[in-house]
Amino acid sequence: MISLHNVTKSYMTLTGRKVVFRNLSLDLPEGVNVGLIGRNGAGKSTLMRIISSVDLPDSGEIVTKGRISWPVGLKGGIEKKLTGRDNVKFVCRIQGVRKAGMKEKIRYVQEFAELGDYFDRPVSNYSSGMRARLAFGTSMAFEFDYYLIDEVMAVGDARFKHKSRIVFKERLQKSKIILVSHSMKLIRKMCDAVILLEHGQATYYNDAREGIAAYRKTGGEP
Amino acid sequence: MHRTATRSHFQIQRDVIYALLLRELSSRFGQRRGGIFWAMVEPIAHLLVPVMIFTFIRIRLISGVDYPVFLVYGFLPFLLFKAICLQIINGMDSSRRLLAYRQVLLMDVFIATAIANAVIQAVVIIIVLTGLAMFGFDVLPPRPVELAAMLALTAMFGFGLGLVLAAIANLVPDSRSVIKIMFMPLYFMSGILFPVTRFPDEWLRLLAFNPVLHLVELTRSMGVEGYEPFKYVSLAYPVTLAFTFTVVGLMLYRLRFLTRVTP
Repeated sequence: MISLHNVTKSYMTLTGRKVVFRNLSLDLPEGVNVGLIGRNGAGKSTLMRIISSVDLPDSGEIVTKGRISWPVGLKGGIEKKLTGRDNVKFVCRIQGVRKAGMKEKIRYVQEFAELGDYFDRPVSNYSSGMRARLAFGTSMAFEFDYYLIDEVMAVGDARFKHKSRIVFKERLQKSKIILVSHSMKLIRKMCDAVILLEHGQATYYNDAREGIAAYRKTGGEP
Repeated sequence: MHRTATRSHFQIQRDVIYALLLRELSSRFGQRRGGIFWAMVEPIAHLLVPVMIFTFIRIRLISGVDYPVFLVYGFLPFLLFKAICLQIINGMDSSRRLLAYRQVLLMDVFIATAIANAVIQAVVIIIVLTGLAMFGFDVLPPRPVELAAMLALTAMFGFGLGLVLAAIANLVPDSRSVIKIMFMPLYFMSGILFPVTRFPDEWLRLLAFNPVLHLVELTRSMGVEGYEPFKYVSLAYPVTLAFTFTVVGLMLYRLRFLTRVTP
């Protein structure tokens, strides 16, 4: 369960304060895949950052229950000077996974990301595709109640994309997602409900199709 | 699949600090061949270059005190203070992305970098002092317990001031460059290269406003046999400031002045 109470978030810009949300209150019911839709700059990513606790609101409260992932495929958390293996170890230590558990996670990521020898080389030597595979594999190695996904989910070549999709589908048997995307096709496929963000307010639609239709009326993407 | 065990807040913080410490140390040292060597060369050179220059021109600054030992015990607190203080601002900037992992708090990053810097400084100082001892200098501090206490105070001072400066840097992003440049004049005003007692009295009164000078002088008097700090040095001044900065800094941290993103 994730709920927001009276959340206000603004950013300071050169031309003054820009308010992204004002007194936003939301309740995401349990067991629902939610899509965040809205135009560029409507605050989808900001809301995601607040839910994932990367950023803090100016005022208001966020209550979460259950385990919430870091943004899936987060590349920012990877230290380039360290090897892929050491990066996975770092995440394991933070999550409190040690010894046998850690070994299992490392083996999982090593197999999943298909990095070969590169797994034991510094990440600075990786191609951007390899980095994305490492990040995605690390996210998939841990089990969460909610996975947060900002836009890009499919990484790598066609075969890797296919594999990722299968693993993700299997994960969705037990877990739920919160997905930010401009692709209505993806939203329709993955989400049961949507939150439409516009003018600093959010509207929750129980039915994803309904929300997408409302978004279209305001001139959103097809 | 393996489920993550439920941990107490304390356990989470301990795990996170340990993970960050390993990450910091191994990214600084571990990955390249000779990584430890290169990571140590910079701070050691920082100490050795002035030591060699000033020893060669053989100026006798204070009677009865070996200049290299004088220099090393002056550099030690200053470098410790500077490293901890700057690493808090840098840590705030470079570790923000790590906050995406829910368990990681900014304070964990600060604690881990402070520990890492203290460890590195300790190793560097032991190497340099051992080197000087091999050349026949008397490097052993006459008051080791007081010396350790002074270094702890210096670390605390750097930590507290670092928190306050980080809050300022977060509110006014452009202030970062000013803060970094400030360490240069501070270095010259802290009496590291030569004793400030050579200055006239009215200058000394002004210089005594610099708390780092007090820390340097006091540390030196604990580490160098027969060294007396100059007359305006007091322990109360840096202690008061260290506590004030730490309390204010922790309050600013608590009020989220360091975590709120202000682009």
